[in-house]
Amino acid sequence: MTAQSQTAPEEAIAAEPAGRLPLLLLLGAGILWLLAAGLLGLVSDIQLHAPWFFANCPILTHGRVAALAESAWMYGWVGNAGLALSLWILSRLSGEPLRAGNLVAIGAAAWNAGLLVGLVGIAAGDGTALPSLHLPLYSLPVMLAAYGAMGVSGVLAWAGRRRSVMFASHWYAVAALFLFPWLFSAAQVTLLWAPVRGVLQAVADGWYTQGLWSLWLAPLALAGAYYVVPKITGKVLPSYEAASLGFWCLVFVGPWTGGRHLIGGPVPAWIASMAIVASVTLLFHYLIVLINLREAFGGGGTALKFMAFGVAAYVLGGAVDAVTSMRGVALVTQFTYFDVAQQQLALAGGISLMIFGVVYFAVPRLAGRPWASGSLVRGHLVLAVLGAALLVLSLGAAGLIQGAALNEPSVPFSEIAERTRTWLLLATAADSMILFGNLLLAANFIQTVACGRRASPEALAS
Amino acid sequence: MKNGFFLFVGLFAAIGLSWAGIVLGSYAQLGALAPYYDDSEAQAFPQRLPGIAAKGQLVYRDLNCASCHTQQVRRPDFGSDQARGWGERQSVARDYIYQPWVQLGQARIGPDLTNLQSRKPTAPDEEDLMEMLYAGQGAMPAYRFLFRDRLIVGQASDHALALTGALRPGPGHEIVPTSRALALVAYLQSLNTTYDYPEAKPAQGGDQK
Repeated sequence: MTAQSQTAPEEAIAAEPAGRLPLLLLLGAGILWLLAAGLLGLVSDIQLHAPWFFANCPILTHGRVAALAESAWMYGWVGNAGLALSLWILSRLSGEPLRAGNLVAIGAAAWNAGLLVGLVGIAAGDGTALPSLHLPLYSLPVMLAAYGAMGVSGVLAWAGRRRSVMFASHWYAVAALFLFPWLFSAAQVTLLWAPVRGVLQAVADGWYTQGLWSLWLAPLALAGAYYVVPKITGKVLPSYEAASLGFWCLVFVGPWTGGRHLIGGPVPAWIASMAIVASVTLLFHYLIVLINLREAFGGGGTALKFMAFGVAAYVLGGAVDAVTSMRGVALVTQFTYFDVAQQQLALAGGISLMIFGVVYFAVPRLAGRPWASGSLVRGHLVLAVLGAALLVLSLGAAGLIQGAALNEPSVPFSEIAERTRTWLLLATAADSMILFGNLLLAANFIQTVACGRRASPEALAS
Repeated sequence: MKNGFFLFVGLFAAIGLSWAGIVLGSYAQLGALAPYYDDSEAQAFPQRLPGIAAKGQLVYRDLNCASCHTQQVRRPDFGSDQARGWGERQSVARDYIYQPWVQLGQARIGPDLTNLQSRKPTAPDEEDLMEMLYAGQGAMPAYRFLFRDRLIVGQASDHALALTGALRPGPGHEIVPTSRALALVAYLQSLNTTYDYPEAKPAQGGDQK
């Protein structure tokens, strides 16, 4: 790991056609799931201030639609798009064409078929009611096998790299690729195949949820950010030596922060105490990410702007996590919309915006064509950033009002619903903005991939 | 960091340590938790869910009621759980050992349900719960699909809902709960964790606030 090894091998550009089809397939599926998740999320939002909305429709009852939206977003959007971009980055860094592309295509088809079966299962009443693992048992083994098939290509790209050097994006991509099957299978076994007893279910699910975030979602997004930001700015990462400390801090400390959601619950108190310590320690990781990727804030193309907002939201999310892990703060924010705001800051803000940044950088190189419409890209940027900001602020406000009211025993729940109503309406508006922005991405993606004009290779060779 | 082997060992150690620490660690602490036998009452607590209530928990789970309701009471000096009448003591791990699918929940858009059957001043009875499910209340949607509107043939059903006003069914019709509604209500009526385990004595004040 040396500073001059920053610039990735350029010869990889010639490698694109081999992986084009399977990777574009994964990306396209990811964008479709993003739209589906947005639509389902909107239904779930509206139900919070209009409980009659789809109330007579069992497949869209609030609990189920919330589970559907979460699963479609996580396993559909990030599962597809994040994986596609990580495989693309690994193959580019290796300087070789993407190998085992057929396995990626087969895996993508099986992953999405498994996910679809799982979502239909949730809608039909087979959901597990486990946060982050709502998908029913029968859909999971297929998805695990499919992930393994897609992962082969990443392993080959990593093992067959031309230089033994590893880049920061290497570590993150390899971590995400390698750790997800362990997380996914450990959670399946302890929660669904042979469920642990009593509150241990909540503890195991908390470990899985946090593991997904710290060992899969965040590394997938950071692999992209660490690849794209130096590429676009043409500058070496500042404090490159510290980057590996930041990486190890995330993978070793991150999974321990999940217990902050169990503060005051019927679980061993040390789980929450460990989480407080870990959440504060993890600030070190966020600080290093901020220092490493600060060039993203220097301005540049739209992809870099997406990155800048994504990195800002990611780091801010880490700071908010550390603050709310404190027992005194959790007293107000626990069990409220503030938790949701925090989650959306990290997901709709941090993860999604960083992935969009990589998508806007990668698709022209992958498809060999420039984006069909520049104004659609800019429109998406505005809607995604404003939407995420409005969503987080309105849910945060709703959460603080709800938390304060919950702590006043005389305030009934109908009154709390009244007090938070305006903010929940705003959150619905924010989610509509995000969904509309994502529609622009989908339209642009389809135009670019299906009917764009070929660009000269020189224009894209960066 | 040039060594791929080192990277893999490190990654494996990271996930293994967290799993061993959090999941196995709490398993070692709580995995063998047994019911508590009370000599003076000559029975053990907690008690198993009655069959129909266990079925009802599956309905609770498949509708994901946990997206709005928690089932965990925090200790009296932490939040307003006690003042809202949700329980005199905090929930403890032993309360849940017989629940096949624990529903701790993460959001309180609706009230906590841990002790629904020992609410002060009065606990909702079967009729209240049925009507609440059928008609909705405040921010809670109506779950009409758990009921049937049917023509009365012969004698009216014992389970028919006594609805008034706008909710009253058409002439000659009655609203009856489906077996899912009956199971769900039986489950809600089984929610009661009032037994005081030795470890559940309310922790008052103290320095760990």
